[in-house]
Amino acid sequence: MSVTVAKDTGALMSGTSGGLMLAVSLVVLPWLVPNYQRVFAAEILIWGLFALSFAIVYGVGGMLSFAQAVFFGMGCWGFNFATYYLQLNTWGAIAAAIVAAVLMAIPTGFLATRARQHHFLIVTVIISVLVHTVLASGHYRWIAGPYITRAMTFVPEVPLGFTSFSFSSELVGYYFTLACVAGAMIFAWLIVNSPFGRALRAVRDNEERAELIGLNVNRLRFLMFVAATPFAGLAGALYALVERYTDLEFFHWTYSGKAVVLAVIGGVHSLIGPFFGTAFYMIAAEYLSQYFEQFAVIFGVLLLIVVRYAPEGLWGLIVRQTVGSRRK
Amino acid sequence: MAMELMLILAMNGLVFGLIVALIALGLSIIFGLLDIINVAHGDFFMVGTVLAWVIVTATGNYWLAFLIVPLLGLLLGAVIERGIFRPIEESAALSIVAAFGLSLILQEGVRATFGATPKRILDPIGLTVPFLNLQYEVYRLFAAGIAILAIVGFFLFLHRTKFGTWMRAVRQDRDMAIAMGVPANRVFVVTFALGTALAMLGGVVAAPITSVEFRLGLDVLPLCFIAVIVGGLGNLPGTAAAAVLLAVMEGIITSFAAPTTARIVSLLLMSVVLLLRPQGIFARTAR
Repeated sequence: MSVTVAKDTGALMSGTSGGLMLAVSLVVLPWLVPNYQRVFAAEILIWGLFALSFAIVYGVGGMLSFAQAVFFGMGCWGFNFATYYLQLNTWGAIAAAIVAAVLMAIPTGFLATRARQHHFLIVTVIISVLVHTVLASGHYRWIAGPYITRAMTFVPEVPLGFTSFSFSSELVGYYFTLACVAGAMIFAWLIVNSPFGRALRAVRDNEERAELIGLNVNRLRFLMFVAATPFAGLAGALYALVERYTDLEFFHWTYSGKAVVLAVIGGVHSLIGPFFGTAFYMIAAEYLSQYFEQFAVIFGVLLLIVVRYAPEGLWGLIVRQTVGSRRK
Repeated sequence: MAMELMLILAMNGLVFGLIVALIALGLSIIFGLLDIINVAHGDFFMVGTVLAWVIVTATGNYWLAFLIVPLLGLLLGAVIERGIFRPIEESAALSIVAAFGLSLILQEGVRATFGATPKRILDPIGLTVPFLNLQYEVYRLFAAGIAILAIVGFFLFLHRTKFGTWMRAVRQDRDMAIAMGVPANRVFVVTFALGTALAMLGGVVAAPITSVEFRLGLDVLPLCFIAVIVGGLGNLPGTAAAAVLLAVMEGIITSFAAPTTARIVSLLLMSVVLLLRPQGIFARTAR
C-alpha cells in the first residue's frame, strides 16, 4: 500500500523564495480582481484546505480515507450548532466546528484503523454512508437537530480586539479565510515534520519494518487519522462563513471523492499540492462548465493520466521540473 | 396481513440480495486476485442497467440485452484492466484512485449521453402469480433464478474448469502459481472481465425492478461493501451469503419500520462484525 514517490514533504516546502512569492501574491490578489472573484478565491482556499485534510491522511499516513466529507460536514454542523444553539461568536463557532469534527473522528478512526489496510477504505465509505443515511432519513432529528442544511439568516462578524469585521465585505471574507488557512498550514507543517509525522511515513513506506523497530503502527495511524480532521472541520466552518449556507450533501462520500480528486491531481506529498490541485480544478471547471456541462468526465480522465504518468501530482511535477533545471 | 407483507418484503429482499450477491462476487474476485478495491464497480452495474434500457428502446426486445450486455461487459472489463490498471499494478492505493477516476468517467459520461432523468423499463414478463393472498410478479422470480444460475455458473467455472483452477491458484499464491506456469497476466484480464460482466449482468437483471439512472452505482456499491465486510474480504461464498442474508433482513425490518432504519441496522451490524470478527462471520468456511 506504499506510495511510489516517497518524497520528503520538507524538501518541497524548502523553496522559501517561491513560498514567499506565493504568500505575497495571495495577499495582493483580492485587489486585482472584482468582488465575486474574491469569494471564488476564498472558495479555492476552503476546498484546498479540505483536500489538504485528505492529503495528510493519505500522503503521510498512507490511508485512503473516504470519510473526510463527514468531517467537513461535522464542521458545518458544529458551526451552526454553536451559532444558533449556543449563541457563540465566530471564534467560538470555529472552535466548535473543529471539536465536532474531532469528536466524530475518534470513533470513526477507531473502527477504521482497526481494519486491515484494504478494509480501511471500505470502512470509511460505509461509515460515511451510515452518517449520511441517519441524517437524511428525517427520522432521527433528535440526533442532529435542525443544524444540517441551513442558510444563515444573519451576516457573520469577526470580533477582533476593540473592533469587529463584518462578512458583508468580500475582502473580510477572503482575508479571514486566508489567515485561517495560513494558520492551518503552519499547524499541518508542524504535524508532518514532527517525529510523529516521520514515524508515520516510516509506517506508510514499510509497515513491517516500522513495526519491527518498535513503532505502534495502529496507534500511530489512529492518531494521524484524528490529527487530519481539524482541517476538514475548519474548512466546513469557513465554508459556512463565506457562503452562509450548509448542506446535508457535504456529508456524502462522493464529496470525499472530490477531496481525492483535488489532492491527487495537485499532489499529496506536499502541503501546497492540494491547494494547487484545487485551484487548477476550480478554475478549469469554471471555464469548462460554460461549454460542457459534464466537465467532470475530463477530470476523471485527468485523474487516470496523473495516476499513470505523474503519481506525485501536478505540483510535484512542477517542483521536479524546476528543481531539476536548477541543478543543471 | 402484516405477516404476508413481511413475507413479500422478505421475498423482494431475497431477489435484490441475489442481484447484489452477483455484483459483490465480481468485486470480491477482483479484489482477491488483483488487489484492487474497485470503487467503480457499482458504476459497472449502472452501465449494465443503462445498456439494457438502450437495447430495449432500440429493439423492443429485452431478452437481447441478456446476450449482448454481459459480452460487452467482458470486453469493457478486459480493456479497462489492460489500459488502466495493468500499468499501475504495483500500487494498490493508486489503483483505487484510478478506479475513482473511472467511476467519474462512467457516471458523468452516462449523464452526458443518456441524461440525468431516471427512466424505467417495463416488466418484460408482465405476469403475476398468486402468493399467499397477494399477487407476486413473475419477473422477480425469474430475476432471482437468473442470479442464482449466474452465481452457480461462476462457482462451477471457478472449481470445475482449468481456468478457474488457475484463478484460485493465483489468488492463493501468486508467485508460486506463476512459477508453476500459470499465465498470470491472462488470468488477471479474464478475472477483471468476468467481474465486470457479472456486475453488468446484474444491471440487466435489475433494470426492470429499479429505476435506470447515472447515480445508481452510488447506492449499490456500499451494499456490496457491507456484504464483502460481513462475508469476509476475499471469501466468495461468504460474500454471496452475506448479501442475500442482509437483503432479506432489511426486507423483514422494512415491514415494520422505515427503509432507512433497515439500512441503518445492517450498517450497525457490519460495524459489530468488524469489531468482533474483522475476518468476517463466515471465516471458518473460507478458502
